[in-house]
Amino acid sequence: MEVSFALTGKDYVIVAADTTAARSIVKMKTDQDKIKILSPHLLMAYSGEPGDTLQFAEYVERNIRLYQIRNLYALSPSAAASWIRRSLAESLRSRNSYAVNLLVGGFDTTTQEPHLYWIDYLGTMTEIPFGAHGYGSYFALSLLDRYHDPDASLEEGLATLKRCIDEVSKRLVVSPDRYKVKVVDKDGVREVEL
Amino acid sequence: MFDVQSVAHQGPQSRQFNPYTENGGTILAIAGADFSVIAGDTRQSEGYSIQTRYAPKVFQLTDKAVLAVNGFSADGKMFVKKVKQRLEWYRHAHAKDMPIRSIARLIQTMLYSRRFFPYYVYNILGGIEDDGTGSVYSFDPVGSYEREACRAAGAAQSLVQPFLDNQVYYKNQTAGQDESFPTHLPLPSVLKLVVDAFTSATERHIEVGDGLEIYVVLKRDSTAIQSMEGVQEVTTSEEGQRVFYIRRELKKD
Amino acid sequence: MNTLAEQFSTTSALSKLKKTQALLEDEEMSDAMWGSQAGFGNVAQGSPSFAVPAVPDPSAFLRLHTDDRADPNCKIKIQHGTTTLAFRYQGGVIVAVDSRATAGSYVASGTVKKVIEINPYLLGTMAGGAADCQYWETYLGMHCRLHELRNRERISVSAASKYLSNLVYSYKGMGLSMGTMICGWDKTGPAIFYVDSDGTRLKGDLFSVGSGSTFAYGVLDQGYHWDMTDEDAQELGRRSIYAAGHRDAFSGNTCNLYHVKEDGWRFIGNYDLSKLHYDGPNNVPGAGYGYDIRIAGRASALQPAVAAAA
Repeated sequence: MEVSFALTGKDYVIVAADTTAARSIVKMKTDQDKIKILSPHLLMAYSGEPGDTLQFAEYVERNIRLYQIRNLYALSPSAAASWIRRSLAESLRSRNSYAVNLLVGGFDTTTQEPHLYWIDYLGTMTEIPFGAHGYGSYFALSLLDRYHDPDASLEEGLATLKRCIDEVSKRLVVSPDRYKVKVVDKDGVREVEL
Repeated sequence: MFDVQSVAHQGPQSRQFNPYTENGGTILAIAGADFSVIAGDTRQSEGYSIQTRYAPKVFQLTDKAVLAVNGFSADGKMFVKKVKQRLEWYRHAHAKDMPIRSIARLIQTMLYSRRFFPYYVYNILGGIEDDGTGSVYSFDPVGSYEREACRAAGAAQSLVQPFLDNQVYYKNQTAGQDESFPTHLPLPSVLKLVVDAFTSATERHIEVGDGLEIYVVLKRDSTAIQSMEGVQEVTTSEEGQRVFYIRRELKKD
Repeated sequence: MNTLAEQFSTTSALSKLKKTQALLEDEEMSDAMWGSQAGFGNVAQGSPSFAVPAVPDPSAFLRLHTDDRADPNCKIKIQHGTTTLAFRYQGGVIVAVDSRATAGSYVASGTVKKVIEINPYLLGTMAGGAADCQYWETYLGMHCRLHELRNRERISVSAASKYLSNLVYSYKGMGLSMGTMICGWDKTGPAIFYVDSDGTRLKGDLFSVGSGSTFAYGVLDQGYHWDMTDEDAQELGRRSIYAAGHRDAFSGNTCNLYHVKEDGWRFIGNYDLSKLHYDGPNNVPGAGYGYDIRIAGRASALQPAVAAAA
């Protein structure tokens, strides 16, 4: 079962997603990267209907890149999130819609602020300090309400993320065993090992 | 008198679009080393009613290809008509008959072009390949196909196929000491198997009976065929293929 | 009700189909039909066109008449049920499949070719709808050849699988059913991609697809390691298909084994699963894979003291 988390901290956003690709009761793959790097300061974790997820993520990736090529600068996190939300909302009103849930995290280089957006397949978007998708959210949200600190250092942020992952491993019946974690801050995007 | 009110009182109605029915019958084909036998019964039924005792299900396409069609007879009629049309166009364009392996691929693409609105037909194609070997191709309704040595399809498929497996492929039989099973059966044995398969299917399946039509495509002259009664030669092509037609009666109850 | 939405939706496969159908009806006898191109002749115009019933929901219509899992009495039985597997290792790619096709509980065929030879360097496997796999993988083969002619080099396994994945994704929700592994050797070495009709496409070292896949995984995962010899790898593929054929009623009959190396694929052999059960791959009576045969003469109970002493 798919799980993804994201949280903001002092000048950074951490995005984490499990790495399993499952079909029915079978794990087909255990090292699938479900976090796309959309631009130098923008990350997107995606989950949902198989097939739709990657098609939509690649569509977003290419369009964000196209914008950057045409205009010689990247979209701000808020602008990118708005465009992504609008794409999903328009798709929802067509015959074949994308059933994809997203966590979009970015660092706005103009204001030096981190931003995190929670978007679901219906085109609902909200800016949040932390969020989650999938069954993991039922465990992680209360935990994050208790432990999240918007001023936390990266180490503290990663420690909080670790709490989320540990809790899911402890309580969720079929929990993923591996996660990919990516951080975005003023220096750009990088992957971190927990 | 017609009352508008009373119609309205019946409440909402729903209609299902069902363009399919099942017309029974069975077809079968067996390939030999240099011949192919394609057969089908001639009964056409719907439910427990017999619509006709003579509705052909086996059709000669070219001098070396015969197609048997089973399932929904209206779809079958239309499909055979379209295949024949495409083969005629091919003849006009290339001044020769389409090779049987190409007919098989053509049938696949024609069936698959109706993937989202299938023809309810099971096809078996039999004939002689360019290399002179006898061949049988069997299809599912949406076009998956395979070359085989023998195949039964239709209502009595589950009665006839196990019989053929045993008598043609010698499945579940063990050869005696210093003996081995032949890889290909001779034509007279194949014809006997076909007739037996259909008389037995007629005994045990209500949708099978009335008449039996057998087409034999032969690579070259064979005396074996003359010994059968009621054999009728249909065509002889320049390349040496001969097509024969045999008719037998089946029980009509 | 949907007509308004449909009118303005440009992305759906259905509206695309309806448009091509309108085109088709205008010129039903296209030039391609006269020639030898056998219906694939419209490749130049994009993708082939399909007839669609004039009902509000064509995929529901299709399901009603063809889905034997939803309704065992439905008329058109599309063949289902399979075990297929492929894995990458030091010596290339092993592809092994069973050969059974079932329609409901009837064994429709025991001699199905579930490995589709796309070209001398590419293999595709078949699980799900037999016709869907056969047709689209043949179609993929044509486009791989066009790629060669246009680019003067062979298509990569990645590109070929992506082509197939995008193709079936455009028909998502219309009722296609396929789970396939595209296997081959390209500039990057041996490669396997899993592609299914949901639109999923995964790169990996080891996959198994079909109703018997869990049983195959059980043997495959435990026996797999990268540094296997060719012989051990082929044996593992064969043994895994046997295991699935033994435990899954929808799989069985025979195993077809292929090996892909740098110079393309090679057919290794066809193995009767019953023979494997009793006599193993080398036809040695008593050397079979079967549990009873494997444990013959061994017992969990302690040998009686008298017998041991004697």
